[in-house]
Amino acid sequence: MKASYNWLKEFVDFSLPPLEIAHALTMAGLEVEGVVEADGDTVFDINVTPNRPDCLSIIGIAREISAILKVPFRSGPAGALEQKGRGPEVTVRDTRLCRRYASRTITGVKPAPSPDWLVRRLESHGIRTSINVVDITNYVLLETGQPLHAFDLDKLAGTKIEVRTAGPSEKFRTLDNEDRILNPDMLMICDAERPVALAGIIGGMNSEVSLSTMNVLLESANFFPSSVRRTAKALGVSTESSYRFERGVDINNVTVALDRAASMIAEIAGGCVSGLTDVYPSPFTAGDIRISFNQINSLIGIEIPGPLAERILTDLGFGVKREGEGLVVNPPSFRQDIQAEVDIIEEIARLYGYGNIPASLPSIQLQPTCNEPGIIEAIRKSLVRSGFTEVINYSFFYPDSLDRLNIALNDRRRDMILISNPLRKEESAMRTTLIPALLSNVCLNFNRGEKNVRFFEISRVFLPSSEKLPEEVVQVAAVYNKGETASLWETTHDGFYDVKGALENLFIDLKIKDHSIEQSPEFTEPYLHPGKSCTVRISDEKIASLGAVHPSVLESFDIRGNVIILEIPDVAKLKKYISAKTSFSPLPKFPRVERDIALVVSKGVTIERVRRAILSVDSNIIESVVPFDIYIGKSIPDDKKSIAFSILFRSADRTLTDQEVDALQAVIIEKLKKELDAELRG
Amino acid sequence: MLNDLDSIKSLAGEEIEKADSLKAVQDLKVRYLGKKGIITGKIKSLAAIAKEDRREYGKSLNDVKIYIEELLGVREKACKAVELNKTLQIQRIDVTIPGYRIPAGHLHPTTQVLGEIIGIFTSLGFHVEEGPEVELDFYNFEALNMPKEHPARDMQDTFYISDDVVLRTHTSPVQVRVMQNNTPPLRVIAPGKVYRCDADVTHIPMFHQLEGFMVDKHITMSHLKGVLEVFIQRVFGADTKLRFRPSFFPFTEPSAEIDISCVICRGAGCNVCKNTGWLEILGAGMINPRVFEMAGYDPAQYTGFAFGMGIERVAMLKYGIDDIRLFYENDKRFLDQF
Repeated sequence: MKASYNWLKEFVDFSLPPLEIAHALTMAGLEVEGVVEADGDTVFDINVTPNRPDCLSIIGIAREISAILKVPFRSGPAGALEQKGRGPEVTVRDTRLCRRYASRTITGVKPAPSPDWLVRRLESHGIRTSINVVDITNYVLLETGQPLHAFDLDKLAGTKIEVRTAGPSEKFRTLDNEDRILNPDMLMICDAERPVALAGIIGGMNSEVSLSTMNVLLESANFFPSSVRRTAKALGVSTESSYRFERGVDINNVTVALDRAASMIAEIAGGCVSGLTDVYPSPFTAGDIRISFNQINSLIGIEIPGPLAERILTDLGFGVKREGEGLVVNPPSFRQDIQAEVDIIEEIARLYGYGNIPASLPSIQLQPTCNEPGIIEAIRKSLVRSGFTEVINYSFFYPDSLDRLNIALNDRRRDMILISNPLRKEESAMRTTLIPALLSNVCLNFNRGEKNVRFFEISRVFLPSSEKLPEEVVQVAAVYNKGETASLWETTHDGFYDVKGALENLFIDLKIKDHSIEQSPEFTEPYLHPGKSCTVRISDEKIASLGAVHPSVLESFDIRGNVIILEIPDVAKLKKYISAKTSFSPLPKFPRVERDIALVVSKGVTIERVRRAILSVDSNIIESVVPFDIYIGKSIPDDKKSIAFSILFRSADRTLTDQEVDALQAVIIEKLKKELDAELRG
Repeated sequence: MLNDLDSIKSLAGEEIEKADSLKAVQDLKVRYLGKKGIITGKIKSLAAIAKEDRREYGKSLNDVKIYIEELLGVREKACKAVELNKTLQIQRIDVTIPGYRIPAGHLHPTTQVLGEIIGIFTSLGFHVEEGPEVELDFYNFEALNMPKEHPARDMQDTFYISDDVVLRTHTSPVQVRVMQNNTPPLRVIAPGKVYRCDADVTHIPMFHQLEGFMVDKHITMSHLKGVLEVFIQRVFGADTKLRFRPSFFPFTEPSAEIDISCVICRGAGCNVCKNTGWLEILGAGMINPRVFEMAGYDPAQYTGFAFGMGIERVAMLKYGIDDIRLFYENDKRFLDQF
């Protein structure tokens, strides 16, 4: 709401300069967001909160200034009207939606451009000017907050106005030259034959005031807020009028504003004003709100003297009577937001000044809280330590991203929660996987010349459920690009084992003891390379997927480079495998013996198979089996590879002799020969 | 005979003095004290000396032996020190080569700021609750005193899933959910993602909020001011000033907008605070009795305060970030700075 300094001064006596007025208004709850000087006046741009429709007018803001500065408020010039004859008869069909309807006719007007002062004032308040009759209705709207509408009386059929709801699929062309299809809960102003205005929102082309208009019907009414709002929303129109009616307009101001406008029209555009027609079946009565001083003080937390509270409310135009240790308050008709005790308390606190309320800390009863560091924090910490940087992406995505991931049509991830009013189609569904956004992050960073892109995200995805609300599942996903490392650390793999190491670290950090790795195409995610990916299980439950991104997916995300993905599709599943107890095992009493063996096996034999075969020889004595070298090349047949293991032997109850270990090693080699066709490498 | 010992002594002294390496010292040790050494030889031939001279001669011989041992010891130490110094010189490295770092990643700045804020409130005895991001219209609006057609709904552009399911526009719905399932006293914070249907230079469709509330008997607006003062001064420094301005939220009354003295210019006036010296940072107020009613609490018995803030806003002020869109673009060069 824009309000000019000079205009405000017409209603309230103050001498403070504009910037101080702006500050005073801001600190009382009418936030001044802009101050513009022009033509010897200053215009404030005020953010009026939805609870204060009374301040969508110069008079309303002037009243506030009067209460804040404790200076008198002057009501506007009362138009002394010469009245002749009567306007059309008014019938209100729905007195709930239209609580008051008043009108006057002005005959013999001379429409013309408005005088300069009027044009300047409207323009400085952001209102487009038209012809005098229309400009005056807008002027009075700004001044009083009461929306008005002028009809060309000669374009109205018959001599009656009917306020009723629209017929089914009735059509109506509004003043903005749009054809609207009405529905039966929309309130219309009609003449004897047809609708002529959308009540409280916008007039119709069929009764528009123009330069050739001679006689005018001036309407000032009060419509039910939520009905106006529903209609305006449904039709996608918002006007100065609908904005005010949606929030609530002072019902007792209807005829005051009507008379003010009628007298201005008579004065500026000429014409003769008719008598008043006013349909007002249930006049406003101010309800009593009783409030005790104790209530006030115990919510604010400070003693506010009774007489001061009384004075504040009186200054705001409230009726106030003292009753025992409290007040009986009658809010004025322009303050429909005041309905309960707490509304009164807010008024008192607001004008007492929030700054005058001291700060203090409450005394509290101790309550043990359960702020244990959660699994999510632990995962974040672990992945950061393993070199991943956290990203956060929007929760929405483009459903087509699933195609780019090769996700099957019957996959659960295809079942998405759709947004009915998305900003862009790229953000039209709630995501069911974190992967597309992470791959897009990689692409963006590659395009900007970044290397070694290693990101993770831990966020919710949204899956439909049988409940009203979707299931929100916390997922973790990470992308890893090997990029370049120092020559010392350069290895031939593309990062798979780095990410696997990060996952192993994560399990250690979470105190998850066992897991198994499985490489089977049927469980592989479709966006992973079938030969370079695996499923991670704990106690046979699928917990994570790990692998290189499928070349076709890399291509569809426009990524040139290798990317490894780690995905934990449901963090909650991990929780139950966290071992709550850490228990100590005594340090070994006897020394260990270390032996290295190098084997030549078929390429298809996995490290894990060999390791298990060795362990199974005597798991009491063989403490660990750790691979330390894999070699393919010269001196090894093409279909074979050489693997070297370091084996630790230890007994819990004696020192092992060389002979014992030699014998065990012989058994191991024999077993590997038999089971895996392994040969000792010479 | 004693002259003989004197000349051995002085020769040994000279030779040891000249020895300039551990090896040379070692050789001299062998030459004088070794199994076939000069001194050892003299000791062996003691028996051949006349009985009356043996005692005096033996004593002198022993003195010479001790003398040589001491000299050798000193010399050996000196040579060792010289040689160690040489080795240390050879082992010299280039300390200006960059350090080898285990490349740790970074937490997103939003996570870091959230963590700090949560830490402050948990130290004050608040505990963390969460709620769904896809929320019922009831919890997001109606239970917060914003029935359908309430104009305050215009304050928050909403993404709809259906007529009664929305993407939550704020973290306030957690208030009602927590109240429905717990009895006072309550001290709760609820961090999380929220969604608004607008995107321009200063808005993004998803951001983070943190809601906090406290419900008990005798909670006052003065307490709200006290708790927020502690919080703000921990985040932005003890000299940060707070300003409480009346405002409007349907779910609190009285409601306040909280400004802090500009952390960039310290109140002198700059672009960030639009020369006002103040920055809007929080919305807060006393929980509206209607919200208590919706949650099944007796408003005559309990009072409480609630507050909410945008985390990105706090992060922008803390780190001096001037474009909110940077947060979720996820450019590594941005993320690596935190």
